[in-house]
Amino acid sequence: MAARVLQQCVRSFARPSLRLCTRNVAVRATATPAVFIHRPLSFAAESPRTRLFGQSRISVGVFCRQYGDLPPLTLETIKERVMYVLKLYDKINPEKLQTSSHFMKDLGLDSLDQVEIIMAMEDEFGFEIPDAEAEKLMTPEEIVQYIADKKDVYE
Amino acid sequence: MKTAVVVLLGMSASRLPPAALSLKQFLQRQKVLQIYRTLLRTIRQVPDEADRRYLRDWARGEFRRNKEATNQDAIRMMVTQARNHLEELQKSLALARS
Repeated sequence: MAARVLQQCVRSFARPSLRLCTRNVAVRATATPAVFIHRPLSFAAESPRTRLFGQSRISVGVFCRQYGDLPPLTLETIKERVMYVLKLYDKINPEKLQTSSHFMKDLGLDSLDQVEIIMAMEDEFGFEIPDAEAEKLMTPEEIVQYIADKKDVYE
Repeated sequence: MKTAVVVLLGMSASRLPPAALSLKQFLQRQKVLQIYRTLLRTIRQVPDEADRRYLRDWARGEFRRNKEATNQDAIRMMVTQARNHLEELQKSLALARS
Protein backbone atom coordinates (compact mmCIF):
# COMPACT_ATOMS: atom_id res chain seq x y z
CA MET A 1 0.00 0.00 0.00
CA ALA A 2 2.75 2.36 0.91
CA ALA A 3 4.59 1.42 -2.26
CA ARG A 4 1.54 2.23 -4.33
CA VAL A 5 1.27 5.64 -2.71
CA LEU A 6 4.94 6.33 -3.40
CA GLN A 7 4.52 5.23 -6.98
CA GLN A 8 1.69 7.65 -7.57
CA CYS A 9 3.55 10.47 -5.95
CA VAL A 10 6.57 9.82 -8.12
CA ARG A 11 4.47 9.58 -11.27
CA SER A 12 2.74 12.82 -10.48
CA PHE A 13 5.97 14.57 -9.57
CA ALA A 14 5.71 16.95 -12.50
CA ARG A 15 2.13 17.76 -11.66
CA PRO A 16 0.86 20.09 -8.99
CA SER A 17 1.03 19.53 -5.28
CA LEU A 18 1.04 16.54 -3.02
CA ARG A 19 -2.48 17.42 -2.00
CA LEU A 20 -3.70 15.73 -5.18
CA CYS A 21 -1.66 12.66 -4.34
CA THR A 22 -3.34 12.26 -1.02
CA ARG A 23 -6.73 12.85 -2.58
CA ASN A 24 -6.02 10.13 -5.13
CA VAL A 25 -4.93 7.77 -2.41
CA ALA A 26 -8.16 8.26 -0.58
CA VAL A 27 -10.12 7.51 -3.77
CA ARG A 28 -8.06 4.42 -4.49
CA ALA A 29 -8.23 3.11 -0.97
CA THR A 30 -12.01 3.00 -1.12
CA ALA A 31 -12.24 1.76 -4.71
CA THR A 32 -9.71 -1.06 -4.99
CA PRO A 33 -8.75 -4.01 -2.83
CA ALA A 34 -5.46 -3.81 -0.98
CA VAL A 35 -3.54 -6.07 -3.38
CA PHE A 36 0.02 -5.36 -4.31
CA ILE A 37 -0.24 -5.46 -8.13
CA HIS A 38 1.36 -2.70 -10.19
CA ARG A 39 0.04 -3.01 -13.71
CA PRO A 40 -3.74 -3.41 -13.39
CA LEU A 41 -3.65 -0.69 -10.80
CA SER A 42 -2.21 1.81 -13.25
CA PHE A 43 -5.02 1.17 -15.73
CA ALA A 44 -7.64 1.41 -13.04
CA ALA A 45 -6.02 4.57 -11.77
CA GLU A 46 -6.06 6.33 -15.13
CA SER A 47 -9.63 7.53 -15.29
CA PRO A 48 -10.15 8.86 -11.75
CA ARG A 49 -6.72 10.44 -11.80
CA THR A 50 -7.08 12.22 -15.11
CA ARG A 51 -10.50 13.37 -14.16
CA LEU A 52 -9.18 14.69 -10.90
CA PHE A 53 -6.18 16.35 -12.49
CA GLY A 54 -8.20 17.65 -15.38
CA GLN A 55 -10.47 19.53 -13.03
CA SER A 56 -7.84 20.92 -10.77
CA ARG A 57 -5.06 21.52 -13.26
CA ILE A 58 -6.45 24.91 -14.16
CA SER A 59 -6.55 26.16 -10.63
CA VAL A 60 -3.38 24.70 -9.18
CA GLY A 61 -1.23 24.46 -12.32
CA VAL A 62 -0.55 28.19 -12.40
CA PHE A 63 1.23 28.14 -9.07
CA CYS A 64 3.38 25.11 -9.64
CA ARG A 65 4.97 25.62 -13.02
CA GLN A 66 8.65 25.03 -12.68
CA TYR A 67 11.30 26.61 -14.85
CA GLY A 68 15.00 26.53 -14.37
CA ASP A 69 16.79 29.85 -14.45
CA LEU A 70 19.46 31.82 -12.67
CA PRO A 71 18.48 34.35 -10.00
CA PRO A 72 17.94 37.82 -11.46
CA LEU A 73 20.96 40.11 -11.56
CA THR A 74 21.01 43.41 -9.73
CA LEU A 75 23.72 46.05 -9.67
CA GLU A 76 24.55 45.04 -6.11
CA THR A 77 25.01 41.36 -6.91
CA ILE A 78 27.06 42.16 -9.99
CA LYS A 79 29.33 44.39 -7.94
CA GLU A 80 29.72 41.75 -5.23
CA ARG A 81 30.61 39.07 -7.71
CA VAL A 82 33.08 41.30 -9.55
CA MET A 83 34.81 42.26 -6.31
CA TYR A 84 34.85 38.66 -5.16
CA VAL A 85 36.53 37.48 -8.35
CA LEU A 86 39.04 40.32 -8.13
CA LYS A 87 39.87 39.48 -4.54
CA LEU A 88 40.59 35.91 -5.57
CA TYR A 89 43.12 37.07 -8.16
CA ASP A 90 46.52 36.56 -6.67
CA LYS A 91 48.15 39.71 -7.96
CA ILE A 92 45.65 42.02 -6.37
CA ASN A 93 45.99 43.14 -2.78
CA PRO A 94 42.47 42.81 -1.37
CA GLU A 95 42.91 45.67 1.08
CA LYS A 96 43.77 48.17 -1.61
CA LEU A 97 40.93 47.10 -3.84
CA GLN A 98 38.02 49.46 -4.33
CA THR A 99 35.48 49.87 -7.06
CA SER A 100 37.26 52.89 -8.44
CA SER A 101 40.79 51.52 -8.33
CA HIS A 102 42.40 51.58 -11.74
CA PHE A 103 44.09 48.30 -12.62
CA MET A 104 47.17 49.84 -14.12
CA LYS A 105 47.52 53.10 -12.23
CA ASP A 106 46.43 52.10 -8.73
CA LEU A 107 46.93 48.37 -8.54
CA GLY A 108 50.08 48.15 -10.64
CA LEU A 109 48.86 45.47 -13.01
CA ASP A 110 49.80 45.26 -16.65
CA SER A 111 47.77 44.56 -19.73
CA LEU A 112 48.35 40.80 -19.60
CA ASP A 113 46.85 40.83 -16.12
CA GLN A 114 43.97 42.90 -17.38
CA VAL A 115 43.28 40.30 -20.07
CA GLU A 116 43.27 37.59 -17.44
CA ILE A 117 40.93 39.55 -15.21
CA ILE A 118 38.44 40.07 -18.04
CA MET A 119 38.63 36.34 -18.87
CA ALA A 120 37.84 35.58 -15.24
CA MET A 121 34.82 37.89 -15.48
CA GLU A 122 33.69 36.07 -18.61
CA ASP A 123 33.91 32.78 -16.72
CA GLU A 124 32.01 34.18 -13.77
CA PHE A 125 29.12 35.69 -15.70
CA GLY A 126 29.02 33.16 -18.49
CA PHE A 127 29.13 35.37 -21.58
CA GLU A 128 31.90 36.48 -23.90
CA ILE A 129 33.29 39.98 -23.91
CA PRO A 130 34.73 41.00 -27.31
CA ASP A 131 38.33 42.21 -27.53
CA ALA A 132 37.62 45.79 -28.48
CA GLU A 133 35.44 46.39 -25.45
CA ALA A 134 37.48 44.26 -23.10
CA GLU A 135 40.62 46.34 -23.35
CA LYS A 136 38.77 49.48 -22.31
CA LEU A 137 37.61 48.11 -18.97
CA MET A 138 40.14 49.43 -16.52
CA THR A 139 38.33 49.69 -13.20
CA PRO A 140 35.89 47.41 -11.38
CA GLU A 141 33.28 50.14 -11.71
CA GLU A 142 33.54 50.08 -15.48
CA ILE A 143 33.25 46.31 -15.50
CA VAL A 144 30.08 46.46 -13.42
CA GLN A 145 28.65 49.09 -15.75
CA TYR A 146 29.50 47.07 -18.83
CA ILE A 147 27.96 43.87 -17.48
CA ALA A 148 24.86 45.77 -16.40
CA ASP A 149 24.57 47.20 -19.91
CA LYS A 150 24.96 43.83 -21.53
CA LYS A 151 22.56 42.07 -19.23
CA ASP A 152 19.95 44.82 -19.23
CA VAL A 153 20.07 45.46 -15.51
CA TYR A 154 18.51 48.79 -14.64
CA GLU A 155 18.09 50.39 -11.28
CA MET B 1 64.84 55.61 -29.72
CA LYS B 2 64.58 52.46 -27.78
CA THR B 3 61.21 52.28 -26.14
CA ALA B 4 61.17 50.03 -23.13
CA VAL B 5 58.63 47.27 -23.17
CA VAL B 6 57.62 48.62 -19.80
CA VAL B 7 55.84 51.17 -21.90
CA LEU B 8 54.93 48.65 -24.54
CA LEU B 9 52.77 46.71 -22.15
CA GLY B 10 51.48 49.74 -20.32
CA MET B 11 52.98 48.80 -16.98
CA SER B 12 54.19 51.18 -14.25
CA ALA B 13 52.59 54.19 -15.78
CA SER B 14 52.92 55.75 -12.36
CA ARG B 15 56.72 55.93 -12.60
CA LEU B 16 57.32 56.79 -16.27
CA PRO B 17 55.34 59.11 -18.43
CA PRO B 18 53.89 56.92 -21.16
CA ALA B 19 55.93 57.61 -24.25
CA ALA B 20 53.98 57.55 -27.44
CA LEU B 21 54.13 54.23 -29.22
CA SER B 22 54.61 54.26 -32.94
CA LEU B 23 51.75 52.87 -34.94
CA LYS B 24 53.59 49.62 -35.62
CA GLN B 25 54.37 49.10 -31.96
CA PHE B 26 50.84 49.87 -31.00
CA LEU B 27 49.50 47.34 -33.49
CA GLN B 28 52.02 44.78 -32.35
CA ARG B 29 50.96 45.27 -28.76
CA GLN B 30 47.37 44.72 -29.80
CA LYS B 31 48.33 41.55 -31.63
CA VAL B 32 50.17 40.20 -28.62
CA LEU B 33 47.19 40.83 -26.37
CA GLN B 34 44.83 39.37 -28.92
CA ILE B 35 46.77 36.17 -29.23
CA TYR B 36 47.07 35.92 -25.46
CA ARG B 37 43.32 36.19 -25.18
CA THR B 38 42.67 33.65 -27.93
CA LEU B 39 45.12 31.27 -26.30
CA LEU B 40 43.38 31.56 -22.94
CA ARG B 41 40.01 31.02 -24.57
CA THR B 42 41.24 27.91 -26.36
CA ILE B 43 42.76 26.57 -23.15
CA ARG B 44 39.34 26.91 -21.55
CA GLN B 45 38.05 24.22 -23.88
CA VAL B 46 40.50 21.58 -22.73
CA PRO B 47 38.48 18.82 -21.04
CA ASP B 48 40.77 17.94 -18.15
CA GLU B 49 41.10 20.40 -15.26
CA ALA B 50 44.74 19.56 -14.43
CA ASP B 51 45.73 19.96 -18.08
CA ARG B 52 43.94 23.25 -18.21
CA ARG B 53 45.79 24.56 -15.20
CA TYR B 54 49.14 23.40 -16.55
CA LEU B 55 48.55 24.98 -19.96
CA ARG B 56 47.38 28.22 -18.40
CA ASP B 57 50.47 28.43 -16.20
CA TRP B 58 52.65 27.60 -19.19
CA ALA B 59 51.05 30.30 -21.35
CA ARG B 60 51.26 32.84 -18.56
CA GLY B 61 54.90 32.03 -17.91
CA GLU B 62 55.84 32.26 -21.59
CA PHE B 63 54.18 35.61 -22.12
CA ARG B 64 55.56 37.13 -18.97
CA ARG B 65 59.05 35.87 -19.53
CA ASN B 66 59.26 37.63 -22.88
CA LYS B 67 57.46 40.71 -21.73
CA GLU B 68 60.64 42.76 -21.73
CA ALA B 69 61.53 42.20 -25.36
CA THR B 70 62.09 45.33 -27.39
CA ASN B 71 63.28 44.13 -30.75
CA GLN B 72 60.40 44.27 -33.16
CA ASP B 73 61.56 41.29 -35.17
CA ALA B 74 62.02 39.19 -32.05
CA ILE B 75 58.54 40.12 -30.96
CA ARG B 76 57.19 39.18 -34.36
CA MET B 77 58.92 35.80 -34.16
CA MET B 78 57.47 35.16 -30.74
CA VAL B 79 53.99 36.07 -31.91
CA THR B 80 54.34 33.59 -34.78
CA GLN B 81 55.53 30.94 -32.36
CA ALA B 82 52.55 31.61 -30.13
CA ARG B 83 50.24 31.35 -33.11
CA ASN B 84 51.76 27.97 -34.03
CA HIS B 85 51.25 26.74 -30.49
CA LEU B 86 47.68 27.96 -30.62
CA GLU B 87 47.00 26.14 -33.89
CA GLU B 88 48.50 22.95 -32.53
CA LEU B 89 46.32 23.19 -29.47
CA GLN B 90 43.23 23.82 -31.57
CA LYS B 91 44.01 20.85 -33.80
CA SER B 92 44.52 18.54 -30.82
CA LEU B 93 41.25 19.72 -29.31
CA ALA B 94 39.42 19.10 -32.58
CA LEU B 95 40.89 15.61 -32.75
CA ALA B 96 40.01 14.91 -29.15
CA ARG B 97 36.46 15.99 -29.75
CA SER B 98 35.90 13.83 -32.82
